[in-house]
Amino acid sequence: MSEPLLHARKVSIRFGGLKALSEFDLEIHKGDLKGLIGPNGAGKTTAFNVLTGVYLPSEGEIFVGGQKVNGRRPHQINRLGLARTFQNIRLFKQLTVLDNVRIAVLADRTPLFDRPRVEALRRGNGPSRALGSVMDALDNYRDWWRALLRTPAYLREEEGIEQRARELLEVMGLSHRVDELAKNLPYGEQRRLEISRALGTRPRVLLLDEPAAGMNTREKADLMVLIRELRSRFELGILVIEHDMKLVMGICEHLTVLDHGETISRGEPAAVRADPKVIEAYLGEAPAHG
Amino acid sequence: MKSFAPVAIAIVVLASLQVLTSGSQYFVYLSLLVGVNVVLAVSLNVINGMTGQFSIGHAGFMAVGAFSSALMSQTLNEYRLGFLPEAVEHQLFFVISLVVGGVLAGGFGFLVGLPSLRLRGDYLAIVTLGFGEIILVVVRNTPTLGGALGLSGTPQHTSFFMVWFTVFIVVLFARRLLASPHGRNLVAIREDEVAAEAMGVDTTSYKVRSFVVSSFFAGVAGGLFSHFQSIITPGDSFSFVKSMEIVVMIVAGGLGSTTGAVVAAVVLTLLPEAMRALFITIGGDNASLAQSIDQLRKPIFGVLLVVMMLTRPQGLFGTHEIWDLLKRKKGAAS
Repeated sequence: MSEPLLHARKVSIRFGGLKALSEFDLEIHKGDLKGLIGPNGAGKTTAFNVLTGVYLPSEGEIFVGGQKVNGRRPHQINRLGLARTFQNIRLFKQLTVLDNVRIAVLADRTPLFDRPRVEALRRGNGPSRALGSVMDALDNYRDWWRALLRTPAYLREEEGIEQRARELLEVMGLSHRVDELAKNLPYGEQRRLEISRALGTRPRVLLLDEPAAGMNTREKADLMVLIRELRSRFELGILVIEHDMKLVMGICEHLTVLDHGETISRGEPAAVRADPKVIEAYLGEAPAHG
Repeated sequence: MKSFAPVAIAIVVLASLQVLTSGSQYFVYLSLLVGVNVVLAVSLNVINGMTGQFSIGHAGFMAVGAFSSALMSQTLNEYRLGFLPEAVEHQLFFVISLVVGGVLAGGFGFLVGLPSLRLRGDYLAIVTLGFGEIILVVVRNTPTLGGALGLSGTPQHTSFFMVWFTVFIVVLFARRLLASPHGRNLVAIREDEVAAEAMGVDTTSYKVRSFVVSSFFAGVAGGLFSHFQSIITPGDSFSFVKSMEIVVMIVAGGLGSTTGAVVAAVVLTLLPEAMRALFITIGGDNASLAQSIDQLRKPIFGVLLVVMMLTRPQGLFGTHEIWDLLKRKKGAAS
């Protein structure tokens, strides 16, 4: 099998004495649709935060697109093809729906210098690091001049960004909301806007943190269809955190169950559901009957 | 090119205004003060309004620009480039000094921007406040910069045209920046830093750069200022009070609104002058009465601000621009 797009190997994280996540293993390949479940406080969102670079893992290694990302900042990890949504919706509330997505859509601009080379230089030390930083700064400050002078290349890029943002909103069924402020959208649409925004960064792996929270049954059913559609349309690997068992069992092909930071079970949904450890974690003691 | 059309128009309009207004010295002086304040307000708005950081040391950057460009100008003034007419040469030196002041202030902006990587809100505000004070102390104790007595003898090169052309450039820059991907990323940081970072926005770099560009323009404003004041002292013109004045302008105009910053800067600079004129009329021939009424200016100014914040906490225009509001009014009427 090909190299996984996202690979976590024995990742642990400690907050003081508390082990929030221990020896967490995960592989996401192209076309995977996996689920991460567990009772409240099991460490699911912590796992997301470690994978996306918000927290630094205490132990273990994380690879995104084959590159080790321990210690990289979230925006760098995002650029390697990992995008996420948030449990408590974090939209740019005062901005329009279109702007929310436009921020995420990367400009396909031609950098002044070869990006990988600049990154490599910046990771070095001494003079090479300084040179890398200067090159990076020159590249960045060029944006000002382009914006001020509105060069043809800049205007073309802007058009491209807007077009792509509109396409994404169309796919997510938000075309009619383009000019509205994000905060004025109903809850279900805010969730979908968050997914569109994440897709704007051209991810190869998408992490969804409780995408169905607060949705009604109808919306949940639509969401299940949509998630499957996104996977094939954008050739994504998807990892979903979800409380709603029906949804998880309905769409995920593989589940990892966390409890108190420990992985207590993993495998196909049917097998996981029958696992006594999982039942215990969710219901406390083993059920009295059936 | 289409993008240069506004520049050409601005040059023509400003040049003719310069000629038309050259008769009234009082008007020109006021317009210079207003223009400098507009540049300061619009540039501070990039940090406080667009990026959502909180800087209250803008006068410090202005001071860096003012003193360094004044010094530069005094040095250059001793030289002559034979082949240019003297007036052109003066303006050329002036522009060079302004750029030097701006670049130096931008460099300090970079240094102050660095802590903003770690600090938020009030904590960052204290750092910028400290910076402003440090600059003043340094100036006070540097004989080359005139020490506590202030620096005098700077050539008076500032003109109506130069100030308002700078205003034009800074406003154009702010508008086009906000409309660009760069500006959208700044606003994303203001709205939600965690989400911005997760969407691939290099928040650190953007925050530092907004400090750099903002202090560059503050430095240029300082340069313009030092070239129409016969003496600049580290005391009053660049103190903490001045920084707060600029903050008040952008808050009153609506954080994040460029036109709001412009309007507020104009109104708040002219208001004390207008009140002075008004009170002198009320006082009439009775000089002592006029004087005592004149002392009411500051309290009235304060009360006006309090009333304004109570009735419109989001500022004059909120985060909108003036034309957004006009459009909405029209829409509501029809």
